[in-house]
Amino acid sequence: MFNRINLLALLIALIATPALAQDYVIKVNGIVCEFCSLGVTKKISKLPFIDHSRYNKGVRVEIEDQMVTIAVKDTAVLDKEALFAAIESGGYNPVDIWQLTPEGERVDFQP
Amino acid sequence: MKGLYLVLMLFGSSVVYAHQPVMDMAPRWADGYGIQTRIEQFDSTTTTWVEGVYTFKPWVRMTFKLPHANGELGDLILGIPLKKYQNEGPKTSNWGITPSVKLPTGDQRDWDLGLSVSYSAETPSFYQFYDLYAWDDRVGLDINVGFAFPGKGSGMFALWDVSALTSDEGDRIQTGPVFVYFKKNFMFRAEHKTLVYERDSDWSGSYFSVAVGLVY
Repeated sequence: MFNRINLLALLIALIATPALAQDYVIKVNGIVCEFCSLGVTKKISKLPFIDHSRYNKGVRVEIEDQMVTIAVKDTAVLDKEALFAAIESGGYNPVDIWQLTPEGERVDFQP
Repeated sequence: MKGLYLVLMLFGSSVVYAHQPVMDMAPRWADGYGIQTRIEQFDSTTTTWVEGVYTFKPWVRMTFKLPHANGELGDLILGIPLKKYQNEGPKTSNWGITPSVKLPTGDQRDWDLGLSVSYSAETPSFYQFYDLYAWDDRVGLDINVGFAFPGKGSGMFALWDVSALTSDEGDRIQTGPVFVYFKKNFMFRAEHKTLVYERDSDWSGSYFSVAVGLVY
């Protein structure tokens, strides 16, 4: 009986705990205005691994420091080559990428 | 009189030669497209321009410009802006070359070829644009320089324009303020230029234009 209750509690805990969001930050040279942001967002949001439920279609652009934050689906794997190609087709140059920890710290991207 | 309208329709504005839709800026992204309409008044002639752009890749676009004034449709102008972008941290700039052709779709029935060479650079707070163009017997220079004011989801530019044009029909220099506002995929541009120099020409007075554009 005790084991069944423990098992049930464990299942409820697993269901109730949200999956850890996968966020990445990309340094993109040349993003200086909202129109730059529009093109980059348009291109990135078309990628299949982007989580559209967060940010603006899965993308947040900070013009002040040319940083782009993306939300990746918890069931998907980020394709760095496709991501950088999408940014370049938006007209800008990605130069570096980091993963965000749940605490919001940047750590080196692990392919 | 009709001939004068047609001449003014094309000669009255450096927009014909120096500027590209939409507002020289967008869309930069591949497979982007945009349309804008511009109403300009110069020497008592009001011309409405319908202009469009398709961006194949960030470095190559195709544009069209079609004028309409006093019930007359003007000649269609097609251009292929080719751009070399440089993105360096908080600055983006580009060199551009735009071959253009004017097709005899209007009452003027003229073929013509044009070429423009441009440079523009932008930071979050500053914008500059220079365009040197040649078209038939006309050679001109158009300069926009000023400040950018980025906001959240929108932005503004407050610029100063200097346009100089020389041709067999006359020479002139115009100057004045330009205001650009954009929000999401919508752009608005208004400009007013005063004639500060002219030689041997029949046109006179100031130039005013407003334009709205959308990009997708």
